[in-house]
Parts: sequence; C-alpha cells; structure tokens
Amino acid sequence: MRLPVADGPAVRAAAARLFSRHRRTLWAVAVLHTLAAVAGLVGPWLLGRLVDAVTAGTTSAYVTTVVAVGAVAVLAQAVLRRYAQRISMVFGETVFADLREELVDTVTSLPLSTVERAGTGDLVARTTNDVDRIQHAVRFGVPQLLVAVVTLALTVVASLVVAPLVALALFVGVPLLVVVARWYLRRASAGYQREAAAYATLNGSITENVEGARTVDALSLAQHRQDRVRADLSEAFAAERYTLGLRTVLFPGIDLAIAIAPVAALVWGAWLLTQGQTTLGAVATVTTYAFQLAGPVWNLIFWLDEIQVAAASYARIVGVSLVPTDRTATDDEPADDRVVARDVEYAYRAGHPVLHGVSLDLAPGERLAVVGPSGAGKSTLGRMLAGIHPPTAGTVRVGGVRLVDLPLTELRRQVALVTQEHHVFVGTVAENLRLADVGASDERLRAALGAVDALGWAQALPDGLETVVGSGGHALTPAQAQQVALARLVLLDPHTLVLDEATSLLDPRARGTSSGRSTGCSRAGRSWPSRTACTPRTTRTAWPWSTAGGSARSVRTTSSSPPAATTRACGTPGSRSSAGRDHPSGQGGTSPRRRRGGQAGDPVVVAAPAPRPPATSSRTSRSHSRTANPPNTHHCSA
Amino acid sequence: MRPLPLPDPGTPDLRGPARFLLWIARRQWTVLAAAVLLGLANFACQALQPYMLGRALDEGLSAGFGPDLFRWAGLLLALGLGVVVTGVVGHRFDVANWLRSALTTSQLVGDVTARSGDAITEELPTGEVVSTVASDAMRVGQLFSMLGQFLGALGAYVVVAVVMLSTSPQLGLVVVLGLPAVAAVLALLVKPLQQRQAAQREAQGRLTTLGADTVSGLRVLRGIGGERVFVGRYARQSQSVREAGVKVAHTQATLDALQVLLPGLLVVLVVYLGATAALRGDITPGQLVAFYGYAAFLGWPLQVATQMLNIATRAHVAARKIVRVLAVVPAAGAAPATAPMPPEGSPLVDETSGLVLEPGRVVALVCADPDASAAVATRLGRFDDAAEAATPVRLGGTLLAELDKLALRHRVVVAEATPQLFSGRLRDELDPRGRADEGRLLAAITTADAHDILDSVPDGLDGELPRRGARCPAASASASRSPGRCSPTPRSSCSSSRPAPWTRTPRRGSRPGSRKPGAGARPSW
Repeated sequence: MRLPVADGPAVRAAAARLFSRHRRTLWAVAVLHTLAAVAGLVGPWLLGRLVDAVTAGTTSAYVTTVVAVGAVAVLAQAVLRRYAQRISMVFGETVFADLREELVDTVTSLPLSTVERAGTGDLVARTTNDVDRIQHAVRFGVPQLLVAVVTLALTVVASLVVAPLVALALFVGVPLLVVVARWYLRRASAGYQREAAAYATLNGSITENVEGARTVDALSLAQHRQDRVRADLSEAFAAERYTLGLRTVLFPGIDLAIAIAPVAALVWGAWLLTQGQTTLGAVATVTTYAFQLAGPVWNLIFWLDEIQVAAASYARIVGVSLVPTDRTATDDEPADDRVVARDVEYAYRAGHPVLHGVSLDLAPGERLAVVGPSGAGKSTLGRMLAGIHPPTAGTVRVGGVRLVDLPLTELRRQVALVTQEHHVFVGTVAENLRLADVGASDERLRAALGAVDALGWAQALPDGLETVVGSGGHALTPAQAQQVALARLVLLDPHTLVLDEATSLLDPRARGTSSGRSTGCSRAGRSWPSRTACTPRTTRTAWPWSTAGGSARSVRTTSSSPPAATTRACGTPGSRSSAGRDHPSGQGGTSPRRRRGGQAGDPVVVAAPAPRPPATSSRTSRSHSRTANPPNTHHCSA
Repeated sequence: MRPLPLPDPGTPDLRGPARFLLWIARRQWTVLAAAVLLGLANFACQALQPYMLGRALDEGLSAGFGPDLFRWAGLLLALGLGVVVTGVVGHRFDVANWLRSALTTSQLVGDVTARSGDAITEELPTGEVVSTVASDAMRVGQLFSMLGQFLGALGAYVVVAVVMLSTSPQLGLVVVLGLPAVAAVLALLVKPLQQRQAAQREAQGRLTTLGADTVSGLRVLRGIGGERVFVGRYARQSQSVREAGVKVAHTQATLDALQVLLPGLLVVLVVYLGATAALRGDITPGQLVAFYGYAAFLGWPLQVATQMLNIATRAHVAARKIVRVLAVVPAAGAAPATAPMPPEGSPLVDETSGLVLEPGRVVALVCADPDASAAVATRLGRFDDAAEAATPVRLGGTLLAELDKLALRHRVVVAEATPQLFSGRLRDELDPRGRADEGRLLAAITTADAHDILDSVPDGLDGELPRRGARCPAASASASRSPGRCSPTPRSSCSSSRPAPWTRTPRRGSRPGSRKPGAGARPSW
C-alpha cells in the first residue's frame, strides 16, 4: 500500500491557501520583477532610436543622451532585480520552512497502521526529497516565472507600440508553441511523478541496506540487495527515458517557434518598408525583440516544467495530509485510572480478525501478563490497550473515555507502550530521554536511568548524558537502547504501562533483583516499583514493573484453533480467543501514590509478550500441530 | 541511449573527489565528447545569428524586397534550424551524461551498502549515506550534463570574438576583454555565496537526518508520546535552515543584480562606441545592431560559465561525500581468503571463551551478562575482522578471518536478535537466490513459526511485504540451510510459548552435521 497522492484540485486548493497566506509578499515580488523587466526593455528600444538617428544623421550629443538614459535603465534594472530576488528568495525559504514543519507535524500524527503499510522509505522521501524539490521551484521558479511572463508580455506590448504592423510577425510561432507546449505539459506531470516515485524507491532500498547492514551480512544477502538496487535503477532509467522522449518533442518545437519569429519579422518588415509603412529602425528593434523572446519563452517552459515536477512533489506532500485520521480528540476527561476493554476485535485485513471479542478490566495496582502462541494477537491487544490503534470493533476506555478520543499528550499520561524495538534517536542521551518529559531536570534524568540500572554506563559515556547517540553518533547496544526506552517510561510516569517484549534484551538478573533501585526513584517523587514481586517464570516479557504489593494475573490470547498443548496448559479449550483471569493471585493491596490528584494506586503492568500481530488461519494451527509442540505449562502461572 | 544500470559499474578511483569525477568522465568520454561537439555547434549557431541579422538588415533590407533579402532571411532561418537540431540532440546527450554518471554512482553506493556489513553504519550516519544517492549523485550528474553546454559556450565566445575583431577591432576588444573582466568580478562574489550555500546545505543535511530519524522512530514515538518534542526539534532545525537560506538569498540577490548590471553596462558602452563609430561612418547601422546582439548574446555564455563554476564546486563537494561512502571497507571479508575451507564437521572454537561447538549438538550459551553471550555469537559470525582480531575464532583450526566469507556463511549463520525484514515480495525476501521451491519455503515458514506473516500478506508468498518485522529473517536463516546456526537470543521476538519448532525441526531439515548454539542470557530451552 502506498501513501495517497493528492489529485489536481486538492493540490491547487492547497497551493492557493499557501499563496493567499503570503499574498502581500507575492504582490511586492511581482511588482518589483515587472519594473525590472520594464527597465530591461529600454535597451533595445533605445537601440532602435539610435539606429534611426544614425541613419538619418545626428549629433554626438544626442547619442550621449540616449546612451546615458540606457545606463540609468541598466542601473535601475539591477537594483530592482536585487530587491525582487531577495524578497522572493526569502519568501521561498519562509514558505518552505512552514511547509516542511507542517508536513512533519502531519507525519507524526499519521495512524501507525498506515505508516507501517506504506513503508518508511516513501515517507522519508516525502519529508526530504519532495520538500527539496518544491523549495527549489518556489525559491527560483516562481520569481523566474514571473519575470518570464512579465518580460514576454512587455516585449510584445513594446513591439506593438514601436511598430504595430511589424510586430504582428512575432506571433507567427505562437500556434506551434501552444500546440507543442500543451502536448508536453499534459504528459509531463505523470512522467515526473513516476521519476520521483522511482527515486523514492531507490532511496528506500539504500536506507534498508544501511539499516539492515548486519542482516544483509549475516544472511549473505549482498547479491540480492544489489539486484534490488539495480532493479530500482532500471525503473528510474525507464522513467527518465520517458520524460526525455517528451522533451525530444518539446524542445525542437519551441526552438523552431522562436527561430521563425525574427525571420518573419525581417521579411514582413522588408515588405512593409517597400510600402513605406515603417522605418529601418523599427524593423531592427522588432527583430531584436524577436531574438530576445527566446530567453523568456525558454524560461517559461523550463519553469513550467520544473513547477510541474514540484507540483508532483507537492501532490505527494499534500497527499500525506489526506490519510484519514484514526482518532479525533474530544474534551472528555477520564474519571479514573481504570482501563477497560470491551468486546475488542481487530483485523489487519477485513475479514481476517486477529482478536475476537476480548474483554478485560485492569484494576489499579494490578499486573496483567498476556500470553499466547505466536500470532495470537498479543501485541495487537497491547496496542489496543495503549490506544495506538482503535479496535476494529469494541472499545478500550480509560476512566470511561475511549483511548482514541484522548489527545495524544493526555493519552500518554494515561497509558504508554514500550516494545522491544530499540530505535535510538539522533541526539544526546538526555534528549532521547526528554522525549518523554520535555522539562525534566538532569536530576530526574539520572534518577530515571538509575531506576532501570542504566546510570552506570550512561555516566561512563564519553560526554555522559550529553553524548550524542543514534545514527552517526555513539552506538548503544540493544540492551542499552532498551534501558533508555524504559527510562523514558519512568519519566513519562503513566498509570498504565504496556510492555511488549520491552525487556527482552536486558540482563535477566537486573530484571529480577534490584529492589533497592526503587529508593532512587521515589526521590524523584514517584514510588517506582520494587521488582521482586512475582516474576512469571515463563513469559519473559512480564518483567516485574510490578507494584510493590500489587496483584498479578495473566490473560491469554490464542489463535483460532490453538495447538492442543497450549490449550491444555491453559485450560481454555476450544475458545476462539480468551482473555480472563486465570490465576488472580497476588498479595493484594496497593501502595499509595501521588499523581495529579488521582486516586491512589500503583501502575498496572500489561505485559504483552511477542510482537508479530496478524494471523489466524487453519494453516497456522496445522503447522503448530505438525511441529508437535510438547505440552508446556509456561503460560498461566503468575 | 545505452540502457542503465550497466552490468558492470567498474572500480572507481577513490583517491580523491577530483579523481573520482575524472574516472567517471573517462568511462563515458564518448558520450561527453558528443555532447561537447553538439554544445559547440548549438552555441555557434546562436552566436552567428546576430551577425546574420546585421548583414540581413544592411544588405537584405536596403536592397528592398527581393532575392538578396530572401537569401539572408534563408540563411538566418537555416541557422535557426541548426539551433533546433543541435539543441534537441545535444539535450539527449546531456541527459545521457547525467544518467550515466548519476545512476552509476548510485549503483556503486548500492553495491557498497550491500557488501559493507556493519562498517557502513559505524562510519557514517544513515542519512548521509542515503543523501549520496538522493542528492550527491544528482549533483555529479548535473556536472556532466552541463559540460557540453559549458564548452559550447566557451567555443561560442571564441567564434564571436573572431567575428567582432575582424569587423571592428576597437569594439571587438572592448567586448572580448570586457566580458572576462565582468566574469572575474562575478567570480569574486561566488566564493562567499558558496560558503553560505555550504552552511545551508549542512543545516539541511541535519534537518534531513532529523526528518528520517522521526519517520524511522515513529513507532517508538507513538508508544511514549514524544511526537511533540520531535516536531519541536525539527521545527527549530528547520528555522536554522531558513536563516541560513536567508543569508544565501542576500548574497545570491546581489550576485544576480551584478549579473544584470555589469554585462548591461558593457552593452551600453558598446552601443555608445558603436553609435559614435557609425556616426563617423566607420561601421554600418546593421553592424551596430549586430554588436549590440553580440554583447547581449555573450551575457548567456557568461551565465553558463558562472553556473558551471557553481555546479562544479557543488559536484566536487558531492564527490567527496560519495568517495567517503565508496571507500568504506567491508567489516569482514574485505581481503581474499588465505586458507581453504576446513572439512565439514570441523569444530567451531571461540578461543577467548573456550566455547567449542561440535557438530550435531544444540548448545545453549548462558552468561550472566547478555551482552557477553551476544558478543560470543557475534564473534562466531565473523562480522568485523579488525575488531575481532584479538578474539580469534577458529573453524577446524583455521581462523575465520582467513576463510572465504561467503563459504563461511554457508557453514555458520548467526541469526541476530533483531534482524531486519526487507520490503519486497515475500517469496523473494525469504529466498533471495530463488533456489527453494514452494514446499521448502512453506516448510521454512513453518519452522520459523511465521505463518502469521504469510497470512498478513494479501497474496501469500507473492504478496508485497511492507517494511519492518522480525521473524522472517529467522525463516530466511532456516531456509538458508547452514549446518551451523547461531542465535544470540534469536527468539526474543518470537513467542516464548513456542520454542520447539524453532529448535527442533532444523535438525530434521538439514544435514546431520548441524550444530546450533544459542547464545543467550536465559536458558531458553
């Protein structure tokens, strides 16, 4: 699935909004460029006057005067050009800073399912290449286009003023020009869009090569990846060749239209001369104007072309904002911290539901482990519980409000999700942490790192917390990256956490022992859990972000026909899916916590082991039984 | 036009950016030569137009509406047609030059990124590598596509100079010497412009990295709600790009104005001198018009020349970045093998830890510190020869670093903890070499317990995979049939409830000599 590309009307509407926001600047640019173009036309006109004067015999004083006027015109043109260019370029910078910032704003609030299906490469290309291309077109293109149009119009008007009859010859190439340009412009847009898409795919492949360098090496995929890049290049080449074919028609058409104008002016002027209808100077001026038309005509076509390229890019940028949102924030405020799921269903593809009517209540202070075989939908359920996706059917609410009705910032104060994915962002360690809490003091950052056992190595980094990490910076190990992710969670401090394999890479001892750490955290104003309480032996994901004295239980999700062993172990035979209290054991009781005037209660830990969302098909279960999974009693104890 | 990409992009000269550009030029010199010839012809036709116009005005018009006029008008038209033909054919060659150089550069970068292993990410940030393809290769292409026009412009300059000097030495000298003087003054301004442009590009590069980082980490951001912070970071960097751009705009606008002013004043001077000469009767009115035309026309070659200066500098900077990427030496297996592969069934020994892996055994390696066991697995996989020099691993007594890497990969495969699943057709991604039939692919999927992936793709094995995922490489590793498979907690992304299919079936599927160490912090099975 690709991200949408805006159609013509949507692009025009967006462009109109953009330009109307900057109407005054655009007018200033237009006026300045027009004046500059007018000044530029003075030269040939003076030349004509001089030729006539010289032919008729004149004084050197007259010549000096005319030339002085010409010099002033050149000076005026230069000064006007300077300000026109400066204003229009600054204008371009401003517009495109707005544009790309809006784009990134939109991108970060895209429904995650869309992002995952469209692929990152396309989105990266839109935020980088496409923005660049438009920037170029507006910074240089819009002013140049203005200059070209104004110059053309003024040249024609000036010719008509100087010698209306002779000037008629200038129009001889117009029909050819119009036909060829229309033919070309009608096809160009699609051609350049194909080019842009081809290069976006290429960039995506290179990105994958770099990000998956280890995998490519480990599995000897080099040849395969090279072939992939070659295929992308072939497509880029084919796309380029198509547009080259278009230009092979366009270019000679325009050149020819331009070439015949002065010849026509000359012959037609000569005939008019014999009729005594005009002067030699007038013919000279118009013929010179005819040559001067070449520049603006070419500029016009070139920039129309470029602007079409930019329009293609712009269509892709506007397209991002056309992705239907999967949530609209309402003003409802959660009444309490209770997370309640009712009849939750989710289907990645229509008709292939992964979750079937899951209902569960999370009480404050409770830990819930979600277990089940691969593909049963544990991660999917975790994402529903964290409000990442709305469920296809049913609801997930916190304090009576649907999670997807909460503004994102508010949502994350309620529920946060950490997966095993350990993307480290470009920036310092401190910046990586402050994603979760912008205003956090260094003290709090250290406390958060301490709470996840990461303070030691973090302080030992070359520049401590100010060490630049992420792509191109200091490389963190996957385990360290995971600790950073968990430290963010400490800072974020939501009442409900969903951990999806979030600790899979950590030292198991660290995960089970350090009860002492909690003191470090409570200094930060938070009674962060001691982790000694009940580690499920089995689901390694249910890392005890437990509450001191909270209860724990587990919920299972299963695929449609779960393997016998699994079913036996959990005692929910034949259930299409189940979510329930298997062993509501636990010490009971909650420890007080201080939070936004909310109720006392400790975090509910939802642990959803193993990602890999979709799937429930008979093939899955057949394969499970064939592989003869021995009975294992892992799942349900807690 | 020769279809691209070329089957063999060749071995680039990486001793420096200029040498790299020269290497490209040498490889496509015929296309370049054709483009230059056509550029020359095109500019010559254009340069002769004012001359022809002057003659036509003087000799054609004054002779009235007759054969003389038609002859000159016909010649003028012929020149115009010359412009038409050389223009379009020249453009095709310009584009051929562009594509040859840009796509070949991209191809080389693609090859390096596919073969470098960890080395590429250790040396350069992802954004920078991608931008060599996204923009630097294009800048190199631009250089070669402009070459024909540039040299054509130079040639035209010479042609016009000769014509002018033979008509009127005085006026000719003014133009011939005046224009280079103008160009020199303009060149002085190009330097500060380029500095500011470089500053803007650098800021833009950081912005691109931030943008790519935001998109790549979107899933993480979404989980913890860091979007606002990120948007803010991006906006700040975007504003500094804008400020850098405003600085460029100021210099650029001044340069543009001077590009109007200086040649304009020169033209005024020429007209003044021409008019007085015409008054004296030294030149004809037609020649005056022609001189005006020459001086106005030569503004164009001048523009092409300054543009070329700009493009050449940018291409040089781009070439430096490209060379940096192309010079990345694969972390492992860069040097040819010095030892033959030991016989099958030889033990794999990690000398540092003393770990000995015998054929036919499943070994779980458990360390208190998971990073330590992961490091052993990494060593066994031979991912970085230089980094592992002090921690030798031997297969049948031979150092891994001395073996042929590809052959070794057929014996020992390390399935990473977080492997990357590439986008593309599921069938191709599972079995890149196209060796397995449908049955084996499905068996591999079963082994890796990845039927959910198969089901998530609309067209099954022929469906397109979106980006990211974890288990398919496991199936891929399984399908690769290496006797030695090593997994530093490979199943951390797989369901803990199903260790069995993973560990057991491969033994059935593969040769009896299989060994399967699993390095992990926890006793997984």
